[in-house]
Amino acid sequence: MIRVELAKQARPRTFAALGALAVFAVALAVALALTGADRAEPVGDIPLLLVPAASPFVLPVIALTSTMKFFLPLAVSVFAGEAVAGEAHWGSLRYVLARGVSRSRFLASKAAVAALLSLAAVVLVPAVALAAGVVTAGWQPLPAVDGGASPALHQVRAVFPPDAALARLAVGTAYIAAGMTSIFAFAFFLSTVTARPLVAVAGGVGLTILSRVLNSDYLPGVAVLSPYLPNNDVDLWLHLFQQPGQTDGMLRFLVLQAVYAVAFLALAWWWFTRRDVLS
Amino acid sequence: MAADEAIRIEGLVKRFPRGVTALAGLDLVVEPGQVVGLTGPNGCGKSVTLRVLLGLVRPTAGRVLVFGQPVTPGAGVLARVGALVDGPGFVPHLSGLENLRLAWRLTGRPDVEAHLDAALAVACLGEAIDRPYRTYSHGMRYRLGLAQALLGTPDLLLLDEPTTGLDPAHVRDVRAVIAGVAARGGTILLSSHQLAEVEEVCTHAAFMREGRLVASGRVAELIGSAPTLEVAYLRAAGR
Repeated sequence: MIRVELAKQARPRTFAALGALAVFAVALAVALALTGADRAEPVGDIPLLLVPAASPFVLPVIALTSTMKFFLPLAVSVFAGEAVAGEAHWGSLRYVLARGVSRSRFLASKAAVAALLSLAAVVLVPAVALAAGVVTAGWQPLPAVDGGASPALHQVRAVFPPDAALARLAVGTAYIAAGMTSIFAFAFFLSTVTARPLVAVAGGVGLTILSRVLNSDYLPGVAVLSPYLPNNDVDLWLHLFQQPGQTDGMLRFLVLQAVYAVAFLALAWWWFTRRDVLS
Repeated sequence: MAADEAIRIEGLVKRFPRGVTALAGLDLVVEPGQVVGLTGPNGCGKSVTLRVLLGLVRPTAGRVLVFGQPVTPGAGVLARVGALVDGPGFVPHLSGLENLRLAWRLTGRPDVEAHLDAALAVACLGEAIDRPYRTYSHGMRYRLGLAQALLGTPDLLLLDEPTTGLDPAHVRDVRAVIAGVAARGGTILLSSHQLAEVEEVCTHAAFMREGRLVASGRVAELIGSAPTLEVAYLRAAGR
């Protein structure tokens, strides 16, 4: 069933979404090369400074930082939101289910393929950026300046050997992938409710935007809500590039993702196995 | 429960959440080999009945058996059923052939049991079978839908308004398919509000009104002294 689902998803929209993310990573490398890759770039909302020309690992860190709060949630929302609703929109859902296919198995295959595509999107960005980084900077250690720990006249500079930088990048990528599960699960749940894929996709994007808007960094009045919103702490992995690396809040964020994922995937299963298929 | 009955529906009720009652206690029995026309005005519950038979809609009350097996979502007995309900539905960017192959692979049954060649003969799409489905005309889509319904040579065929919107040539093709299935002993339940069509292609008819069965039997018996099945229906429905 998963092979059938993969065959259905091998379509222009899938290639366009993944291709756009890859092009973004390459465009980022070109833009940084043109605007001065020797200059230290602040990365994310933390006081971390990286020099793109110094190491191949800078580009993937910047590429992930640039995409993790909107473009990646958008891609994940597209894959998850269209999973079931797309089939209903085509009118083929009723024929799949009328053949005696188990609704649970069908839903599991849809979720598995959508998750695979979402994971591919998250991995693609740093992979392409790293390849571009190797081309432009070679295989070099990663020097990082911790702006928060640096006094005015003395930079606190950490240097990560290539294998250590690669390991931190891999952990960061896995962390971001895990950080997409809440958006994925919510969009996937909506996909079982509506026959309009755009509604489910918009729901996933809407949750991302809501999470960013109700952020205590910008709206101190909503501080009580902020820890429970799904997308706010997706950037904590950047602290891995400080010395010593910090993991404060990462476990709590991963637990929050698991809670969102279990809740909305269970809701999707409960609803889909009971709903009347009228589309 | 009789395992030799193709369909047994007892006291079928379907109420949708907003209070709409689509079926209000439908009883119907279809024997193997019969071609039954389920007819009645729009909104009388014909399409919902077919969807319940396919496990797509859950009854509020009542019992539905197909070949003696209760119908639930994903029930194994549905492997013996082919259907074309509310028009065809396929993956638009895949070709007709890819759509048929994928539809069959989802059943998990061996490819040889699909009898794909026979289905392709029904589709009669020639080289267009390799074109993306989204490029098909209405008639081509409909024929592909029929072909999909016939994959695996089902024992029971459920057709919802099978000729609505088709030109005369395609109507003739659909009726030929129905005749072919009937000739090999297959059972067909087709919903239609075109009584002339039911009179022409069906051995039996079932009249519905407001979610209930008004009358059923052999077409000739239902017509009785009336000039046409349409007149017989109007009399049975009290109109």
